[in-house]
Amino acid sequence: MGELIRLEGIVKSFDDNVVLNGIDLSVDENEFVTLLGPSGCGKTTTLRIIAGFEKPDEGRVYFDGKDITDMPANQRPVNTVFQNYALFPHMSVGENIAFSLRVKNKSEKEIRDRVKKALKLVNLKGFENRRIDQLSGGQQQRIAMARAIVNEPRVLLLDEPLGALDLKLRQEMEYELVRLKNELGITFIYITHDQEEALTMSDKVVVMNEGYIQQEGSPQEIYDEPVNAFVADFIGDSNILSGQMVDERVVRIDGVDYPCIDGTEEGFPPRRRVDVVIRPEDIDIVPYGKGLWNGTITSKLFIGVHYEMLVQSEDGKIEWLLQNYDQHDVGEKIGMYVDPENIQIMHKPKSEAESAIEIDL
Amino acid sequence: MKTNLIAKKPYITPFVIWIIAGTIIPLISIAYYGFTSKDGGFTFANIIAMFRPDHMQALGLSLLLAFVSTAICLIIAFPMAMILRESKFGKQGFLIFIIILPMWMNFLLRTMAWQVLLERQGVINAIITAVGLPRQELMNTPGAIVLGMVYDFLPFMILPIYNTVSKIDNSMIEAAYDLGASKKTAYTKVILPLSVPGIVSGITMVFIPALTTFVISNMLGGGKINLIGNIIEQEFTINSNWYLGSGLSLVMMVFIIISMLLLQKFDKTGGANLI
Amino acid sequence: MKKAIGRIYILIIMLFLYLPILTLIVLSFNDAKSMSVWTGFSLHWYEELFQSRLMMGAIVNTFSIAILAALIATIVGTMAVLGMPALRSRTENVLMGINNIPMLNADIVTGIALMLFFLMIGAPRGYTTILFSHTVFCVPYVVLSVRPRVNKNTNKLYEAALDLGASESYAFRKIVLPELWPGITSGFLLSFTMSVDDFIITYFTRGAGINTISTLIYSEVKIGIRPSLFALSTIIFVVALLVLLIVNIRQDRAERNALADIY
Repeated sequence: MGELIRLEGIVKSFDDNVVLNGIDLSVDENEFVTLLGPSGCGKTTTLRIIAGFEKPDEGRVYFDGKDITDMPANQRPVNTVFQNYALFPHMSVGENIAFSLRVKNKSEKEIRDRVKKALKLVNLKGFENRRIDQLSGGQQQRIAMARAIVNEPRVLLLDEPLGALDLKLRQEMEYELVRLKNELGITFIYITHDQEEALTMSDKVVVMNEGYIQQEGSPQEIYDEPVNAFVADFIGDSNILSGQMVDERVVRIDGVDYPCIDGTEEGFPPRRRVDVVIRPEDIDIVPYGKGLWNGTITSKLFIGVHYEMLVQSEDGKIEWLLQNYDQHDVGEKIGMYVDPENIQIMHKPKSEAESAIEIDL
Repeated sequence: MKTNLIAKKPYITPFVIWIIAGTIIPLISIAYYGFTSKDGGFTFANIIAMFRPDHMQALGLSLLLAFVSTAICLIIAFPMAMILRESKFGKQGFLIFIIILPMWMNFLLRTMAWQVLLERQGVINAIITAVGLPRQELMNTPGAIVLGMVYDFLPFMILPIYNTVSKIDNSMIEAAYDLGASKKTAYTKVILPLSVPGIVSGITMVFIPALTTFVISNMLGGGKINLIGNIIEQEFTINSNWYLGSGLSLVMMVFIIISMLLLQKFDKTGGANLI
Repeated sequence: MKKAIGRIYILIIMLFLYLPILTLIVLSFNDAKSMSVWTGFSLHWYEELFQSRLMMGAIVNTFSIAILAALIATIVGTMAVLGMPALRSRTENVLMGINNIPMLNADIVTGIALMLFFLMIGAPRGYTTILFSHTVFCVPYVVLSVRPRVNKNTNKLYEAALDLGASESYAFRKIVLPELWPGITSGFLLSFTMSVDDFIITYFTRGAGINTISTLIYSEVKIGIRPSLFALSTIIFVVALLVLLIVNIRQDRAERNALADIY
């Protein structure tokens, strides 16, 4: 699998608002890549630059080794499934799908056959003559897919395609999309703010925030080894504390030093300000006074397999999120212990304001 | 944040030319003439001329008649809009049709119709005398002018009010009843405040043409009753004193702007009441 | 009881709106010139109307000006709407503010202002000045009726078309134009009717010797009402009635079809 798309140093701003801060990204052929991040993180702009709707202020876009930065959208070998689908309301389903074929002046017979094939691929056989406003949300979604793939693009761009669907339908469509991708054998670049969608479907997840790529890797890597507190928090729930390295493998949180397993070798020399991330499932409940911290349980929810608890620290400064299989009562005073290897030291998230600020002890 | 690909700046060029040549420069020329004396010097005389007794009288009468006819239109239109709101779908369409249709007739012909009715030898007098009553002097009275204004402008009051009241969600009124409001309270505290935007645009659409008309007063006032519109028109068509005409127009524009600002303020407080 | 009051109310309003028109219609068939005495059925006022060269000329002027003004205003206004999103929102607001002036201003002021403008630039007043003046008050209506159709979605559909390989002009014709079409047609029709109906602005911007229906009616009424004007009223009323009926029936049918499709 070779590289198909490469973004190099993409910078983009609207008016004075910098949206992309130098994005470098490589997408392989036949890969399912997800750009994941909160709204305003720059993921949609990145997609629109690949599609050709926006021109980057700086940086280049390569497709199959060719520079396509200045190529207009209608000549790029990519197609998009738009958020809310952008189906043409005055055309039938069949005409919507046939649009790109008509643009290319294909014969009526070829158009008919390919529309039929596309509809079959999205499991909506025989829908040619329906009107767009007669379709359910899920069906519209499938038609948008069919319209985008009928012309056999090498890359399909999907802009939060499942955002408008309800939970159950969304989960169904996740399987559908993966099946479709495997059947078509093309590259998918997928945009979402939903971490579950990203982790379920992708080969590669690219987490973005404030115009920077925070981390990219397989879903497993992203989940298990988030590089910073932003990623950790965005992928699953986490307790995030601000801290500072005070010695090799010692981190100071709120004036108290704790042992940890990271040091200069891992990129955290003494004096570096860091984020400390502790997953809720890594906190053990021990008798009061016997742990690293003490606190009072303020709420408790049973969610399926385990309990989720909020624990207020004694000084009231920190609210811990805990997951535990044992039941404890609200109001109970407990101690909390975390293995040094589960005290994850992370860089402060990339953003202009915070990059490389170091304060003396 | 997105680049709008359809939008291209050059598309706006003809429009800009149009508003410059069709709106801005003409308004500047009116201002120029308004502040210029016949011999070409700068003067306030054309503006101050509004204070001449005959002009003041015309302006006062214009304001009075416009106010009265706007009020009458409002009083007629509001119940009509409410009836429209509450009538069934098919009937509603028919009623709106009925209200719109006269607007498609040239308003000079509509005004002329009242002339035919009110004339000394006209239809109404024919009926009156047939019953044995003495002939009435109906034409050339302020009343005839008000009648003409109400007749010509009534649809412009009904439609905007109907447009807003028809959009009031029924559940809003039900909610008012549910919270113990009487019918009267529901009307005054819910429907009326919600219909303020419609009322305001209705008033604008009636008051300003009524204030500035010269046609209705000419046709139904027989040239004997001068409104400010007539004074200005005559300066342009009969006396050819564009300077004075422009000056008076400027003053009239000030009245238009003031009335609009007042109305807008109403609309805003109406909006605030909603929150 | 409440219903009855409502009905009576509607009846009164209807009488108020239609009795004057009905009177004109009846009198248009009256043999005599009288405005109150019926002397027998006759069509000769219609004959007089159709034989009047002045009137026929005015009718031609009215409709040719209306069509041209509506056409020009539609093009200028639609282009403006398409260009506006490319401007800074402050500039856009200023332009929209100026756009609204002819709509909010009194017709007499607009008319006088245009007349003075033509005098200043030395343009001889006639057909062209009327036409231009009509476009001036029509453009705002076009802008206001087309603008709501241009939204985020329109841009998105346009992008979708480009994404699917359409050229800019193809995407515009096949996607954007159909999206804007309802706004464009209503802007055109509104302009057309405003132009046909206009008297005041035409009155100030026309030259001697050129008439539209409105200005001709005005000058005739001033001299003395002739029943041929009743005939004209009847014709205009019937035409308006037919046009509105057709429009309404078509709309009804479209709505019913849409409903039938859904269920």
